[in-house]
This record gives sequence, C-alpha cells and structure tokens, in this order.
Amino acid sequence: MPRIQLVVVQPTPFCNIDCRYCYLPDRGNKAVVADATLANLFSEVFQSGWAADGLTIVWHAGEPLVLPIDFYRRAFALIDRLKPPELILAHAFQTNGTLIDDAWCRFFQEQRVGVGVSIDGPRRLHDLNRVTRGGRGTFDKTLAGIRALRRNNVPFHVISVLSAESLAAPREMFEFYRAEGIEQVCFNVEESEGGHVSRAFAQAGIADSYYRFLREFWRLAAAAPGAFSFIREIDEATRLVVRPEEAVYFNQMVEPFAILSMDWSGNVATFSPELLGLKNAEYGDFIIGNVNRDRLLDMADRPALHRMLADIGAGVELCRQGCQYFSVCGGGEPVNKLSENGCFASAETTYCRMTKMRATDLVLDLLDEIGERLDPAAPDRAAARPQPSQHALATGGGG
Amino acid sequence: MSLPQRYLKIVAELAASGALGAVVLLGATPPAVANTEPAAAQPNAAAREPVGERLAAIRAAVSAAARSETTSDMGVPDRLRLAWGNWHNGGWGGGWGVGIGGPWGNFGFGLPWNNWNNWRNGWHNWRNFWHNW
Repeated sequence: MPRIQLVVVQPTPFCNIDCRYCYLPDRGNKAVVADATLANLFSEVFQSGWAADGLTIVWHAGEPLVLPIDFYRRAFALIDRLKPPELILAHAFQTNGTLIDDAWCRFFQEQRVGVGVSIDGPRRLHDLNRVTRGGRGTFDKTLAGIRALRRNNVPFHVISVLSAESLAAPREMFEFYRAEGIEQVCFNVEESEGGHVSRAFAQAGIADSYYRFLREFWRLAAAAPGAFSFIREIDEATRLVVRPEEAVYFNQMVEPFAILSMDWSGNVATFSPELLGLKNAEYGDFIIGNVNRDRLLDMADRPALHRMLADIGAGVELCRQGCQYFSVCGGGEPVNKLSENGCFASAETTYCRMTKMRATDLVLDLLDEIGERLDPAAPDRAAARPQPSQHALATGGGG
Repeated sequence: MSLPQRYLKIVAELAASGALGAVVLLGATPPAVANTEPAAAQPNAAAREPVGERLAAIRAAVSAAARSETTSDMGVPDRLRLAWGNWHNGGWGGGWGVGIGGPWGNFGFGLPWNNWNNWRNGWHNWRNFWHNW
C-alpha cells in the first residue's frame, strides 16, 4: 500500500518576484486553487487510507504569501474537518520572505506552521538571481521578512541556492547567517531543471567546488559551537553515512505516492514534485489525474504512472548496479535524470555528483582523518594517503 | 587493520562525543595533509578503498556498536560500548528507525519543517524539493 508522506499544494502559480534560476513555467498566472479542489484532494488523501502519520502539507510552487491569511485559515480549517482525528499532520510554507510581516508571524505562531525562507546569502550573492520582474534585487525585503520572524520568535530555516559565486564564498555566507541570527540552514545547488540550464553545472570542477564549500562551512560552524542548530547538507550526509545496517534508506522520489503534488487546478503528480508543470508527451505531462474528476485509488492504474514507474525503476536499477553511493542515495532524483540525461532510465547526474557523492566523500574523508589521528602509523593508510599534487578530481560513482 | 576494525575505532571516537558532538568533531577535523588549505581541499575518498565497501564497513561498525548495548560483542572496543548510549539515545532522534516506511525513511529529505516541535526528535522532516527556489 502506498504511504503518502508529503503533499505539496500549489495555492497559486503566481510569484511576486522573478528569480533568474526559477524553472516554474507559469509564475505570472494569478489563478487560485478553489476550496472545492482542496476539499477533493484531502477527501481523497484521507479516504484512501494512504496518508502516513506525520503527514506534511507544504504550500508552495508559486509564492504562497501572495494569498491572504484568511485563505489559509479557511483551508486549514477545511483540512482539519476532513482529516481522521488520529492523524497528525503539519503545515509548512516555503516562501521568498518578501511579504512576511507581523500579521503573518502571528498566523504562523497560531497555527504552528513550519516556515522556510529562501535567501541566497548576503546582498551581493542574493541579488544576483533573486530579483523582481523589473530586475531589482529582493534582498532588503527578504531580510525584513526574516527579521520579522526573529522579532516575533517564529522558528524558521533558510534555503540558499548556491551559485558559482557563492560556492567560492563559504566564509561570507557563514558570516552573513551569523550576523542575522540564522541558525538553520539548507543549501540547494543551482541546477538544471525544466527550462532552466544551470550556469553552475556548466563549470568544470563544480562538484569539487561544492566539496570545498561544504568542508569550509563545516569547519567554520564547528569552530562556532551553538551558532547553528541545523545545517541540512552536513547533518544529512553524516547521518546517512554513520548509520546501522538495519536502517534502510528510503528514496521517496522514486516511490509512487510517497510525495503527492497538486497544482492549483487539481492536477496531480507524484515522484519529484518539480515534474508537475513540466511538459512531456511521453508521460502525459507527468499528470496522473485530477482530483476534480478522478479518484486517487484509480490514479494508481493510470498508464502514464506505469510508464514512469517502469522507467524510473530502470534508472534506480542502473544506479544500484553501477554506483558506489547507492546506499546513501537510493537511486537519485527522477527530475534531475530527465533534465540532465534526457530520460528517467539513466544513472549519474551532475546533481548527484555534487549533492550526494561529494557530500558523502567529505564525511568519509573526515572519518578517515580521525582514523589517522587515532592510528597514525597504520601502514595501509599511509600508503593510500594522497598528496595534494596527486589528488585526482573525483568524477563520481562507479568503481 | 581491516576496514570494519578501523571503523569500529573511528565510530568509538565519534560516539564518545554524542551525536551532535560528532558533527562538531568531524567538522573540526584538520586536514590529514598538513599543507592542504581548506580552499584547496579535494575529495580524497575516491583514492582509497571503494566507497561502497567503506560505507558498508561503517554501517557494520555502527550496528556492532548498537548490539554491544545488549550483548558482549568481542569485536567492540570497551570505549564504544560505554559511549553508545550517549550516541544512540542522544541527538539522533531517539533511535535509528528501521526499514522502509520507518522513521529512517524520512531522514534523507530532512528539513526542519516542524520547527515548533523539537524536530530532532520527530523525524517528520522534509526537505524542500523545489530545488532552484
């Protein structure tokens, strides 16, 4: 039986800003999801019996705060009426932060909403890409939103998209977060998705730049105990590497219905949420149904879903057979395989070289360096220890 | 020294710090090659044993550590046996979670969405999937 762990709802495709790396194709559209569409979605989710306890509902894929607070009061109440009483769920917003004010903060507190703010670091780096439709930087407004969250004691994390420029500036990023009291940090890389072709991915050695960024950021954070409570890429990589055999890795991205994404009109997709909104004739634009017409249980039988599942499964199998990092990845992310390799039934991507392989390499290197301190004379490691001039740039999985 | 033995010693060192301390300990590790500046650091992992073998050896070491709480596993250093409770019950969310659909399954996509509820104990943590955002 499928287990729905995450529902991503697009309340509106509209975004009040126009980031240069955004892949969302319809972000000028001011349509708003209807109450009836929300009711249909959550009736189906809850009646299916597939909703996992701890279900998270993320309002995203357009700027969620362009809609009024009352829209969410109504939506949350509707969902609460429909849900089984024993089911625990949480709401979360991923926002550009530019519209956060004291009223939103009161709502976040009242509803205990999880808040993620997208900010790419200090002004110099943020305003490279995160701009208005007129091309002006959004740093001041985003930072004002973050300061409102702090002023109102609303816990939040930030997500920073790393560009080629910010990958070269780990200390500047670190100092910015510290100066602004930002304690929970997530790094995404500027990747090729949908219509966006990553400038960072085009650079030679980008995966190793990511390694160096992460290592230096980690070093700085370790030297400032208490400054950060969460650095996603570091915490994740450490826990994925240093875990017991019994802890099986589960890759939601390749499991049908583990993630359910719905656009404002009721169209539903699964696997990587970014697929919803992209065009693709072979897979019917990745849409497996519409909650205003279809039952969720029937969507499981849709030919488009089965074609995707077969091809994604073939891609996972290629990873399982050929990649040394499979145990910490579980077969990668379908949207990146499609965007970079042209098909789901493929393996390694630049995205996984950066975010999975190099992050894992970093943890392994640090573990081995601890091992060398504990046992400096071990002949097996002394022989294998690479010298700076001998470092071969790692090219990824295999071998 | 075999890979599992090597990693048992390393895991013992980490476990002594507790889960959160381990992350700090790793981050504070100076580069093994003295003249490697952080900005010039390159991944060494590919230059050693195959990554898959090393990852499996680490997991075996962690499992041995976990077993050592209730058994007298002769392969586990005393230091690790003593420290394990600190690690296991400390910051890793009150246990590892096992199997598909278990709490571990949520880990790979951890974002502290649930900021209000001491997320480290919750495992209801989701990453933001919308990468360029």
